[in-house]
Amino acid sequence: MQRSGNNKMVAMNDDAPILSLAGIGKHYGGITALSGVDFDVREGEVVALAGDNGAGKSTLVKIISGIVSSDEGRILFNGQEVSLRKPQDAAELGIQTVYQDLALCDNLDTVQNLFLGREMHSGLLRGAKLSRPLMESRAHAALSSLNVKIRDYSVSVGRLSGGQRQSVAIARAVLSKPRVILLDEPTAALGVAQRAEVMALIARLREQGLGVILVSHDLGDVLDIADRIVVLRLGRKAAERPVAEWTRSSLVAAITGTDH
Amino acid sequence: MNTTRQQVSVTTAPAKISFRQNLLEALSTKWRVVPVLLSLALIWAIFASQSPVFLSARNLTNLADQIATTSIVALGLVLVLVVAEIDLSVAGLAAVCAGIVGVLVVNMDVSLSIALIIAITVGGLYGLLQGSMIVYSGAPAFIVTLGFSLMLQGVLLILLPAESGLVPLAGTDLQFLAAYRLPTTLSYALPAAVGLIGLAMRLNDHRQRVAYGLPSNLMRSMAIGVAIIFASLAVVAIFNAYRGVPLTVAVLAGLIAILSYATTQTPFGIWLYAIGGNREAARRAGIPVNWMKMAAFSILGMLTALGGVVAAARVLGVSPASADQSLLLEAIAAAVIGGTSLFGGRGSVWAAILGALVIGSIANGMFLINASTQLRLLVQGGVLVAAVIADALIARSGSSSSR
Ligand SMILES: Nc1ncnc2c1ncn2[C@@H]1O[C@H](COP(=O)(O)OP(=O)(O)O)[C@@H](O)[C@H]1O
Ligand SMILES: [Mg+2]
Repeated sequence: MQRSGNNKMVAMNDDAPILSLAGIGKHYGGITALSGVDFDVREGEVVALAGDNGAGKSTLVKIISGIVSSDEGRILFNGQEVSLRKPQDAAELGIQTVYQDLALCDNLDTVQNLFLGREMHSGLLRGAKLSRPLMESRAHAALSSLNVKIRDYSVSVGRLSGGQRQSVAIARAVLSKPRVILLDEPTAALGVAQRAEVMALIARLREQGLGVILVSHDLGDVLDIADRIVVLRLGRKAAERPVAEWTRSSLVAAITGTDH
Repeated sequence: MNTTRQQVSVTTAPAKISFRQNLLEALSTKWRVVPVLLSLALIWAIFASQSPVFLSARNLTNLADQIATTSIVALGLVLVLVVAEIDLSVAGLAAVCAGIVGVLVVNMDVSLSIALIIAITVGGLYGLLQGSMIVYSGAPAFIVTLGFSLMLQGVLLILLPAESGLVPLAGTDLQFLAAYRLPTTLSYALPAAVGLIGLAMRLNDHRQRVAYGLPSNLMRSMAIGVAIIFASLAVVAIFNAYRGVPLTVAVLAGLIAILSYATTQTPFGIWLYAIGGNREAARRAGIPVNWMKMAAFSILGMLTALGGVVAAARVLGVSPASADQSLLLEAIAAAVIGGTSLFGGRGSVWAAILGALVIGSIANGMFLINASTQLRLLVQGGVLVAAVIADALIARSGSSSSR
């Protein structure tokens, strides 16, 4: 496995990871949640993170999004060592995380959700008057670029379908122009058609050159969309291969540890 | 349904939405005031048919006077309810703040304006203190504010000891203010001016929408704006047909305009609703959740102080009996009947006013037709129960897709 082991910029090399984790470990008291995990994401690539319950997926996601800090190992962004101590650190670098349930306010509409906390103003009453037209046009542009179709932007998102809601949550993350986007179980609890919607959206993110990290229980999803699959087991990286080299049964074997 | 992997287009199969779903959606958002307006129209029709004076300019002026305090407090309560908190101490605070004004003006000869500023500041600081205790401890607002309500009654007794408790306000500037009516010209000019500003904002909005290539319906937007202006001028004309627009009503109208703008057109307002809708999402979006909640409590405190003074000016006195809990019940009932959700995240400034009108009209009309107190309480309570059940049903259907 090749990796850019130096600290210098390996600028604009197509193969250089945007985000690279090396030897990551995390311990909770006596419990080892992660140990010696290496993990890379490149531009325009979907990396899936698979593993059984307790394998360490959530811990790794939290480390990348700055919610918890690792005890061991190094994190490189664009080839430079960084520390991710709080969510803002990750956001400033361009790492956005979309959590399953916690992203949207059901009582607000699409535009209000997309711009929550970074509302836009215009005209003389700067700062004291929202510019709904400006936000709506930006929202439309962002959603169109992701091929997301929502008929009425002023309907509260609680009324949208699960797929549309997930799309709005992802679009919200994309609006801040991240380079890496983490999706935590984006298709959980979605029906067939809605799952297809979200999968298409993930493909769009890849086309737009984002590095996508996908955490999913759904092996079908993972095999459908990922370019590379990383399997965690009991806090360690059990396997990592391009998707073409995985089958459903080999994936199951790697996840459960019956592949030896 | 076949989904091929090559087809990478997110076409949402339009979910089959039933008529009932559509109706609930409309009722829970933009049409939320429609059922309230209909109930109000029904109540007015019933009383008008039973009493020839119910719709007289004089009685409608009385009605406005009667609901002024409830409305002012309900305006603030809406903000607190929207962030999914509650304040049960408003009746006590209103009385204490009125007591402060009474003691300062009558016993200490302080000018009314200074006394008012002090009382409103006390109300605001009180809200901030109470709010900070709630948000930082995580204790339920409902119990904390109940405790504060008891303490305020104690404070009121300290301020106005039982033996010499009544502070008469007759002959003070407060009596003058309570009786003050706007000059006729001003009474039309003010709403017209505010209305024109509103129209200008709608027009500007339309221009921007067109510039950004968004759909916009100028005629509709203007028609609504003009209708609102004419409606307010008609209301002013009713007041002027009797003795003119009371100062209290003018102040209330100003508060409605300011709060309606703040809650719908500023980030502050959107953030309040966001917190009530999904606290965690709001926090992650960088919204200072605790500060916003404290601000809501504080604004409620200031409005409650003002409401207390208005109530005292109306009866020309404050006493330990002023901490009448019916203010609390009526203000909460007004907010809820108007469509404010106790679950947080839903409710508007208009809800508070319409709700106050509904319960105020019932009380006023029942009195006019000589209905018994028993009947009045039964009807008012019934309306409140119906409103809160309707709210729960709407809330349950509110996010059918997510829950
Ligand atoms: N906050 C915590 N405190 C103690 N142990 C934890 C904590 N978070 C995770 N763990 C432990 O770390 C291991 C990995 O958990 P997690 O990352 O949640 O796995 P996954 O998301 O793959 O199911 C588990 O054994 C879990 O019990
Ligand atoms: Mg997990």
